[in-house]
Amino acid sequence: MPLSEGRLNRADLLKLGAAGAIGLTAAGPALGRTFTRQATTLNMLTWSDHYANDQLKAVAKATALQGRPTLFSDNSDAYLKIKQTGSQFDIVSGDALWVPKYLKDGLTESFDLSSLPVSKQLYPIARQFPFWKDGSNYMGYPFSWSTVQIYYNPKYVKVKPDSWHAILDRKYAGKISLENLPTDVMAIAGLATGTKKPYSMSTAEISRAKGYLKALKPNVLKLASQNNEVIRALADGSAWIGITNLGSDDRVKDAGGPVVKQSYPKEGTVGFIDSEQIVKASKNKTSFERFQNAMQQAPWIAKNFITNGRPLFNEKAYKLLVNQGHGDRATRLLYNQPEKALKMTIKGPAGDEQAYLDAFNEVFGA
Amino acid sequence: MTGAAGASDVPVPPPAEGQAVTRERAVGGRLAGLGQYAGFLPALVLYGVFFVAPLALIVAYSFWQTVDYNVVHDWTLDNYRYFFSVPTYLRTFWATIWVSVAATAITILIAFPFTYWLVRYVPRRIQGLLLVLVILPFWTSYLLRVYSWLNILGDRGAINRFLEWVHITDGPVSLFLYDRPAVILVLVYLYFPFAALTLYASLERFDWNQFKAAMDLGAPPRTAIVRILLPQMRTGITTAIIFVFIPILGEYLAPQLVGGTRGVMIGNLIVNFFSGGQYTRGAAAALLIAGLIVALLIVFRRSLEVEDPYRA
Repeated sequence: MPLSEGRLNRADLLKLGAAGAIGLTAAGPALGRTFTRQATTLNMLTWSDHYANDQLKAVAKATALQGRPTLFSDNSDAYLKIKQTGSQFDIVSGDALWVPKYLKDGLTESFDLSSLPVSKQLYPIARQFPFWKDGSNYMGYPFSWSTVQIYYNPKYVKVKPDSWHAILDRKYAGKISLENLPTDVMAIAGLATGTKKPYSMSTAEISRAKGYLKALKPNVLKLASQNNEVIRALADGSAWIGITNLGSDDRVKDAGGPVVKQSYPKEGTVGFIDSEQIVKASKNKTSFERFQNAMQQAPWIAKNFITNGRPLFNEKAYKLLVNQGHGDRATRLLYNQPEKALKMTIKGPAGDEQAYLDAFNEVFGA
Repeated sequence: MTGAAGASDVPVPPPAEGQAVTRERAVGGRLAGLGQYAGFLPALVLYGVFFVAPLALIVAYSFWQTVDYNVVHDWTLDNYRYFFSVPTYLRTFWATIWVSVAATAITILIAFPFTYWLVRYVPRRIQGLLLVLVILPFWTSYLLRVYSWLNILGDRGAINRFLEWVHITDGPVSLFLYDRPAVILVLVYLYFPFAALTLYASLERFDWNQFKAAMDLGAPPRTAIVRILLPQMRTGITTAIIFVFIPILGEYLAPQLVGGTRGVMIGNLIVNFFSGGQYTRGAAAALLIAGLIVALLIVFRRSLEVEDPYRA
């Protein structure tokens, strides 16, 4: 390389840069093959409670399928990512009625659930959710579920809040924490105001739900970006009431917080039933079954329950938990009653997402 | 066609040799003229791909609609009309502006005395060390820096524990977190290094002999600062304001984590639109903020103009 008097001038630098880039581009695939040692990477778009790092490592070792998770916050967020990125993901997690939407919009593919030997470990009811059936196929592999209910600190909340209206009391001003999930918060407000289908509200119902949220707003401390912020607020005492998933009482306790109690509002509540789906544009679709078969084994699912404390659909894992001495906790958190999952209003896309978001933003703006 | 045919009927004399050569030279000269701008090509491509094209896309989105998570290319002003018809957004825009102004003003007011002290009274060999300390927080993640304030301002945070320890309070006081003052405090903390470094660069070049001369001539220190120092620091102060004010306008994480429902800024509502797939609404709101920034930059531009020292 002709370097002027041993120094690098701008032209030399550009030439070197170009040569380096060409070299790296040419060598990239070969280097990649060397380092990956033939392992197939499965890109997962999922929630943080769907896997553990040691689980991914063990599964990669056993199957040569390396799960690489990318996290998302809300169902709409994941749906849009899959819609925009196509084949960049192989597996996507989704909630209840979002799953048929993915399939209907051609983003995922159904599969024969019984072809996965691990599916025999599931509760029978989890293999027959009507909203996930696609002929003889199933739209997703059932994973976990939870209702979203009221948790309260009995030290400050003397009367059990058994209704969504009970938490409108001004004595709880700035003491309620919930997640920043506009569609689901609107659905809860819909239930509170007597809507039958909280994810398909009419304009008048949206208006009533908005009225409920306006009344609730002065009591809301913060709209948390992650569920762990709700737990933290309950644990450090800044919130007296949290609207959150099953098992939050244990998580608050684990975080060094006070005893919090659960209340199921009489108007009903929303909840999630989540699953793992095959992305239609994935180039590794054939690896899905082998990967899930390893990921969903009872010991991993039992471990997941101990960490995340909400019911899952693997029945064999429940038996393991009982044998390991966690039976009381699992029973208390409804692990052995998967039929309860069908009694809540399950999450799904809003009929008119823009109207839901507009109403939510109009309430929670300044 | 008729006209064209008619025109071709008119005999045109062939160009003289000299004329053809002149035209060729002119074309060649123009190409050579363009060639001198070839060096700008990488910058043009970079700006085009990473700035102009995304901006054009956002502008287009802001005039389209979203139906069932799909962007429909029907041109409409509805998104803008919506923002200007709902008082919440106007209130949130206004709140965002005043929080940004307050945080910027406090940041500059803290950074200026600090850099003044640093440049004027601290030995040069220690100045570098202190500047490293100023930028030290950049070595940790932005998220961690914001989260750390939860441990300071929260109900079980350092301030509450201290107040209880000195028996000023009996229990946690929920005054410090989840409101606008907490947002402003955290924003000041986050953007202080930007202001300090910019002001330091400006102050370091200042000729302190002018300052001493003013004082020799009887100006009290305050007058010397106001009439000698500040006018010469105008460019530095304006740059510091731009570096602090503009990013704060788009902030959403700090208000989300420490602001609670009373500390919401427009960025939070924009994030809701984008995470809910309402790209067209989100694009319009983002462009309104961008428009405000451009307007401010035009205002600030005059302050950034430096007088040409060689002008006759």
